[in-house]
Amino acid sequence: MTNLFASATDSPQPAAAPVAGPGRAVLQLTGIEKVYQTRTIETVALNHVNLTIHQGEFVSVMGPSGCGKSTLLSIMGLLDEPTSGTLELDGRPVQSYSDKELARLRNHKIGFVFQSYHLINDLSVLDNVELPLLYRAGVGGKERRQRAYAALEKVGLGARTGHFPSQLSGGQRQRVAIARALAGEPEIILADEPTGNLDSVMGEEIMDLLLTLNREQGTTIVMVTHDEQQALKTQRLIRFFDGSQVS
Amino acid sequence: MIRHLITLMWNRRRANGLLLAEIFLAFVVLFIVGSVGLYNYRNYRAPLGFGYENVWQINLDAGTQPRPEQYATLQTILRQLRATPGVVGVARTSSNTPFSFSTNNIYLETEQNGVKRTVEPVNIYYASPELSGVMGLELRAGRWFDRRDEAATRPSVVINEQLRDELFGPGGLAVGKRIGNKDREWQVVGVSGSYRAGGELSEPQPGMFVHVSSEDTSRAASRLLLAVKPGSGAELEKKLSADIRSAGPTWISNITTLPDQRQTQLKAGLVLPVLLGVVCLFLLINVGLGLFGVLWLNISRRRGEIGVRRAMGATAGGISGQVLGEILVITTFGLALGLLVAVQFPLLGVQNVRPDIYFTAMLLAAGTLYLLATVCALYPSRLAAGIQPAVALREE
Repeated sequence: MTNLFASATDSPQPAAAPVAGPGRAVLQLTGIEKVYQTRTIETVALNHVNLTIHQGEFVSVMGPSGCGKSTLLSIMGLLDEPTSGTLELDGRPVQSYSDKELARLRNHKIGFVFQSYHLINDLSVLDNVELPLLYRAGVGGKERRQRAYAALEKVGLGARTGHFPSQLSGGQRQRVAIARALAGEPEIILADEPTGNLDSVMGEEIMDLLLTLNREQGTTIVMVTHDEQQALKTQRLIRFFDGSQVS
Repeated sequence: MIRHLITLMWNRRRANGLLLAEIFLAFVVLFIVGSVGLYNYRNYRAPLGFGYENVWQINLDAGTQPRPEQYATLQTILRQLRATPGVVGVARTSSNTPFSFSTNNIYLETEQNGVKRTVEPVNIYYASPELSGVMGLELRAGRWFDRRDEAATRPSVVINEQLRDELFGPGGLAVGKRIGNKDREWQVVGVSGSYRAGGELSEPQPGMFVHVSSEDTSRAASRLLLAVKPGSGAELEKKLSADIRSAGPTWISNITTLPDQRQTQLKAGLVLPVLLGVVCLFLLINVGLGLFGVLWLNISRRRGEIGVRRAMGATAGGISGQVLGEILVITTFGLALGLLVAVQFPLLGVQNVRPDIYFTAMLLAAGTLYLLATVCALYPSRLAAGIQPAVALREE
């Protein structure tokens, strides 16, 4: 079992290894707009965003707070609908998909990592990691356990399966969250400030883990971050300002 | 998913402790109330074993008349009553008439396979030969009292089928047999159906009718049961009272109808079940509000979790189902504890109630609580399903 965490920290080479040319487009955003409307105010969160994410890419998104980074991630993750524009996943527009079909796509194609981990405190580490597989038809209990355990081994937490989130450090919790994202073997991982709540050492560990995951497994990663140093380690950096892509 | 829900609820058992206790207590109370209700309902549905619609009861009191003279006066009264137009039949009986709140019990001894056994309580009703006709009693075997019993060496009795089953086994041969205890002995001449003088809410109990001879002077002033023509009313009542007074100036009579007595007794018998039912209803409303409140609060507290589950691939329907599933799991935990208590009732034979009544009450109580939990979870589960995952995740 490859321990991504161990290999990342032990690796003597630079974390960001360049990939051999862009793969197929896994996410294609065309003219995406997101407007939040209340009775008195209209807030444009995303303004005509055109963006393509290729298979195997590690893209970081930066920008000041409130510039629409998280909204972009929510739309990419099929958690939110754009006000206008089209989103294509694997070349197919998803706008017309039903709630059930979107849920299925989220479950099979996308893994999420959040700044505040979003682990369920009343479930053990193993049960938390099993979560995406719980919503996947045809995966039995035994297979779920095996895959969750394998994902935890990958992030170096194979010995913590019976622990509860409250018994772990922030870095360990984020590794559990990454293992949860990995358990479903998604093509894309969407990480919303995954190191935002961690100190610099822990942040580095998580960043190394994501880089290794991208390099060794070829997982497409889109990461929202405020950390310039971490963003520079990724293959592409996109900057946002006031809902628009500026670079 | 069920295993996941059980794990989740088990891990949250402390947080859900009060809810669990509430469901447990509600189940126990519902079970007890259900048992009382079912017991009464089943009794109510069973035949009384006699007719009461056109039967009147006369309570006689000889007043200051010397005892040696009372028997002759009673015979006069009986003759007058029987000759009164509108009166179909007159029977002498003891004070434990139907719906009278009065009982008269004895015990009987029996021996089966060499083992002596006592049967008690056995209701004992003293009855003249006319009682069968007046009350419309049904005979299962043998005969009712007649002239042959006047000369019998041993007092004749007609036992009911419950007593027959107790003494001689279900459907056993009773006619011609002797029954008794260390003090007295009787000869069984017939077997009647049930006779539930205790009214509709009473359970069929072993009982026997003891023949009262027309020459019996020991119970001169007693109770009379009269079968009257349908539609008889105050006029007949007035005439009967006047006739009794003319036959025995010191005699006091009190005439009531069995339908009136039945109503009185039914009302009294229903007080406890109705009271329990009302308490139970308030308890259910309380439990329902508790469940609803806790679920609503849970949904508000767990918006982040719901967002994560949606992000992991749960559909809105799946979230709704999860909320419902969770409350059903908690309900099952509470019911499991409650069943441990409830099952002791049939095992220990509490109140001698038939076990099937207890088991039916368990099913009813469990079904009611599952239904209540489902109804209370419907709105919160819809709320949960409507949570926008992107918003919920951002809030956290």
